[in-house]
Amino acid sequence: MEHILSLLVFFPAMAGLLGFLVVKESIRAYGICVSAIEFVLSLILWMGFDTSNPGYQFVEFFPFVPSYGMNYYLGVDGISLFLIILSTFITMIALIGLSIEKEIKNLVITVLFLEMTMVGVFVILDVVWFYAFWELSLIPMLYIIGAWGSANRMYAAIKFFLYTFSGSVLMLVGILYMGYLYHDATGIWSFALPDWYALQVPFDAQLWLFGAFFIGFAIKVPMFPFHTWLPYAHGQAPTIGSVILAAVLLKMGSYGFVRFSLPLFPDASVYFLIPVAIICVIMVIYAAMIAYAQEDMKQVIAYSSISHMGIVILGTFAMNGEGITGSIFLMLSHGIVSGALFMLVGVIYDRRHTKMMKDFGGLASVMPNFATIYGIMLMASVGLPLTVGFVGEFLSLAGFYRINWVMTLLAGTGIILGAVYMLVLYKKSFFGEVVHVENKTLKDLNAKELSALIPLVALVAILGVYPKPILTTIDASVEKMLVLMDQKALQDTTKELLMKANTIGGNH
Amino acid sequence: MENYLYTALFAPLASSLFVALFAARPKMLFTGIVASLLIAVSMICSFVLLVDVNTYGPLHVTMMDWIAAGNLEIPFGFVVDEVSVIMMVTVTLVSTIVHIYSIGYMDHDKSFNRFFSYLSAFVFSMMILVMSDNFVGLFIGWEGVGLCSWLLIGFWYHKHSASWAANEAFIMNRIADLGMLMGLFLIYWNVGSFQYDDVFAAAPELPVGIVVTIGIFLFIGAMGKSAQFPLHTWLADAMEGPTPVSALIHAATMVTAGVYLVIRAGELYSLIPHVGFAIASLGAFVAVFAASMALVNNDLKRIIAYSTLSQLGYMFVAAGLGAYWIALFHLMTHAFFKSLLFLGAGNVMHAMHDELNIKKMGGLYGSMKATAILMSVASVALAGIYPFAGFFSKDKILEVAFNEGAYGLWLALFIGAGLTAFYSFRLVMLVFFGEKEHVKYGIHPHDAQPFVIYALLPLGLLAIVAGFFEPTFEAFVTRLVSEYHIHIPHATEYLLIAATLGIALSGIGFAVYKYKRGGFSKSLEEKACYRLLSNQYYIPKLYERCIMQPFTVLSKFVWQKIDMKVVDFTVDIIAKCIYSSGQEARKIQSGNLSDMLRWMIVGMLVLLAFAIIYSAMM
Amino acid sequence: MIGLTHYLVLTGILFSIGLVGVMRRTNLLMLFFSTEILLNAVNIGFVAVSKFYGDLSGQMFAFFIIAVAASEVAVGLGLLILWYKRNGSVDLNSLQMMRG
Repeated sequence: MEHILSLLVFFPAMAGLLGFLVVKESIRAYGICVSAIEFVLSLILWMGFDTSNPGYQFVEFFPFVPSYGMNYYLGVDGISLFLIILSTFITMIALIGLSIEKEIKNLVITVLFLEMTMVGVFVILDVVWFYAFWELSLIPMLYIIGAWGSANRMYAAIKFFLYTFSGSVLMLVGILYMGYLYHDATGIWSFALPDWYALQVPFDAQLWLFGAFFIGFAIKVPMFPFHTWLPYAHGQAPTIGSVILAAVLLKMGSYGFVRFSLPLFPDASVYFLIPVAIICVIMVIYAAMIAYAQEDMKQVIAYSSISHMGIVILGTFAMNGEGITGSIFLMLSHGIVSGALFMLVGVIYDRRHTKMMKDFGGLASVMPNFATIYGIMLMASVGLPLTVGFVGEFLSLAGFYRINWVMTLLAGTGIILGAVYMLVLYKKSFFGEVVHVENKTLKDLNAKELSALIPLVALVAILGVYPKPILTTIDASVEKMLVLMDQKALQDTTKELLMKANTIGGNH
Repeated sequence: MENYLYTALFAPLASSLFVALFAARPKMLFTGIVASLLIAVSMICSFVLLVDVNTYGPLHVTMMDWIAAGNLEIPFGFVVDEVSVIMMVTVTLVSTIVHIYSIGYMDHDKSFNRFFSYLSAFVFSMMILVMSDNFVGLFIGWEGVGLCSWLLIGFWYHKHSASWAANEAFIMNRIADLGMLMGLFLIYWNVGSFQYDDVFAAAPELPVGIVVTIGIFLFIGAMGKSAQFPLHTWLADAMEGPTPVSALIHAATMVTAGVYLVIRAGELYSLIPHVGFAIASLGAFVAVFAASMALVNNDLKRIIAYSTLSQLGYMFVAAGLGAYWIALFHLMTHAFFKSLLFLGAGNVMHAMHDELNIKKMGGLYGSMKATAILMSVASVALAGIYPFAGFFSKDKILEVAFNEGAYGLWLALFIGAGLTAFYSFRLVMLVFFGEKEHVKYGIHPHDAQPFVIYALLPLGLLAIVAGFFEPTFEAFVTRLVSEYHIHIPHATEYLLIAATLGIALSGIGFAVYKYKRGGFSKSLEEKACYRLLSNQYYIPKLYERCIMQPFTVLSKFVWQKIDMKVVDFTVDIIAKCIYSSGQEARKIQSGNLSDMLRWMIVGMLVLLAFAIIYSAMM
Repeated sequence: MIGLTHYLVLTGILFSIGLVGVMRRTNLLMLFFSTEILLNAVNIGFVAVSKFYGDLSGQMFAFFIIAVAASEVAVGLGLLILWYKRNGSVDLNSLQMMRG
């Protein structure tokens, strides 16, 4: 258990390198095995995780450039634990459902490398390494979209890469400035996150740093108005790319807010709370409306991701245990649900080579199992209670209600608009008569697709009915972070807001 | 007793999951039988619990924890007390009958198995709704019945109108659910708990403003589920679903969930009587409003749907005015006779090959006596004629309105009673008596299978006798909800009863008299007020014109004009600027040494200029 | 009396002449001449300033420049001859292999 985190990070990449030796015919099985082992490793991590300890566990430290405080420093707490499991799980599911034949060897190896970077982002505690993994994750995705995408893939891939890259360059500036500030204050260099947590950053510097990190994270999430790369990326990416992109890569941005923005710059976070919340509300409503206007099934889900991420960020900025825990849980649930939805679109795309809703209609009678699973995922997506989607959404909105009820109400319209676009999608594609002849002979889900989708369905139900073990683990770390924020807060308004956000009753 | 509780709750779930295994297969009779049996088990357990609660008092269990984050803890807890056990008994009783009825009704449907799976899932959700011991648990059931309603309205999904109506119902309910969610958040941040006990204990200490807001938010939720104005349009459209669904969900159980919520939160609403009065006023308005639409409609099921709407209005009047046990009593009796009416309508539809226009029926009494009698009984009960069930409950509501001094409400309800009697018997007359219009269409109606009729008998019986349980019911329910005393002198009371009976009887008499002679003249249909009513006050059109169409247009605009032409365009412009500046700048790199040298000198001069300016500034 | 100013003016004039030559000439040989003028203009400046301050390091630097310039010319002329042999021209415009 001592080096399990290193193992988790580098096992997929090493296995990926070995993958070059595997023959083409068995590479898919190889990829599934590797990702399954990786998933089991992450479960072992959960087994060994001490839920009563809210701090970092399984810490690994290895000096890298000690004179500048850049070290190989790994650790996991309640906030990152489940995101790691989500990454390994989704990678495994995506590989199981993989249906591409072209250059499959390169694809599987790319996905394994991508897995390394995703896990790396969530376990690393050194900010420079974090930045390295963060940027590295772009390259496999660029490759996946650019090499296996549809017609307009080059444009989409380059847009994705350059857009997110330019955002994170600003973040790098922030990182360097923060390192400099740390050196200024303590006389030693350090890029270790726990060290940074201990530093009280002056208020003016906080504002700038928050801005720099915000751009990097906001583009990744993606927040309005930095979202336009996402529809292209999803529209052009192959199924496996969309699944991983929606399920895990977007979560890196929202994870960044929880991990960096809030605890490092509590005053700035509170200072910018309302503007950020306004952006979130706009995101929720705006993306939901655009999703309703779409004709392409995949684009509906792409825009719905933006809409849901709005609620995630809103929950994060609720500054209380309910909201932040809820938003992290919503990240997980959105990962599961949007991953499944993209996979389902992939299923129908494989059969019909179109994603336009007008080309479907009446699929419920031709493909009943497909329609059922789609229906379940749809209901999870609109946040029906007892599915996984409800818990996070409810908690996030409940948390933010304490900060501002009007914005919560406006963001809550997301649950109405979400129902509107999702049900319209379902009606157009699955209900009605089968009008197109090609659709009459469609095959229902095959064994491969079922084996990828059924675990997701099971998770939707299980986590919807019994989310408590996950919630309490997350909550412990979140509460610790909130205490830290309160201790670090420089301004009285920050302390007051944190106080208000975390107590029941009193005046509004 | 816990075992009975869990059996009552989970037998429908077991039924639903078991039948779901066969959902995609062709019709299998045993799925219907198993589902009916399991629901019947649930019913029996509910009755056992009724007796138990009567003897030993409420039962409260906590099954397991559900959500825990921050200070928030929500368990799966269930409570069987006087109110919820009445709901459980009503729900499971009607459900059992509807299940048995559906075996006959859905006989020829190829999705027979799927239907039973959905229907049982609905019963499970409804049980969660009524049995939960906290508001979020109620919300689970609340959304769950919404889901099942969506599935069942859109059951014949190949029909465009059915799936449209299903979506409409779900979305309208979602709008209201948002209001309810807001109410829940407000409760949480003021009380710190969602448990009914905690909330009601803390409510008196809360500032009145907060309680008012909570009350309004919760009632918005109730408005959606109980289809109160202005969220009422979905209920009539929901008649696209199979008739047993209309009977169970859109008459007897789900739509009364809003009333249940107000009764359940009665301790909250009794703190804010003015909000209660607003609720009652809305209820009285809907009672007349919906009844007026039922007057002219020719669709068999829609008439009954509007009648449901109107009766829900009556229930809200009682609940809003604080007469919770009366609201619950009317809810129960209404469930019996209204589901009977619907199921009877289902028999008629089957006989008429899914024809719904009552103008095309007539004279069916000859061929379907049993159904005709049952539906007439239900109609009499609905009209509120002594000694049928409706009389006892509805009359009490009028008395409550009078007692509160709300004479306006009383008058509205009084008029509503007359209208109710009229449209009920208009329906009965046009369907079962008069000219045999259907002969023109070559239909040879026949009554339903005997077991279907037998299944309806208990409902028929209850529609007749349920009213006599009133004193027992009052004594039982008021152990939990506040008592309600009527202080009208006896003479006035008898006068009121006589007046109500009188208007109901005259409504019936008028309908019978008119339709025996062939009904109204055609010229009436040209009148503006007739058109207003038959177009449902143009409200559905208004919604389409003012909400749906603008929303679609706006969405397209936002996507194509704002997102593509502004937001994305800006990003692309930035990229293009960088790209074209590169294109321009590469000309510098001409490869010509002279040019390079010239650029070098330009650069040197620029640096020199900077140096001079800098030193000058220093 | 000839003072520092005069030398510096001369340096400036020579440097400008060299600069114009560098910019305008297309013959590589002429370019070399111009660079020589530039370097020597700077040399004069160095020596003058060195004399003015009585600090020898300026003159030392001038010697360095002369040495470097000489070797540069040697290498440069060698390359030039090679180029001429290959292309038959020492025109700058024939040298555009680095075009971007």
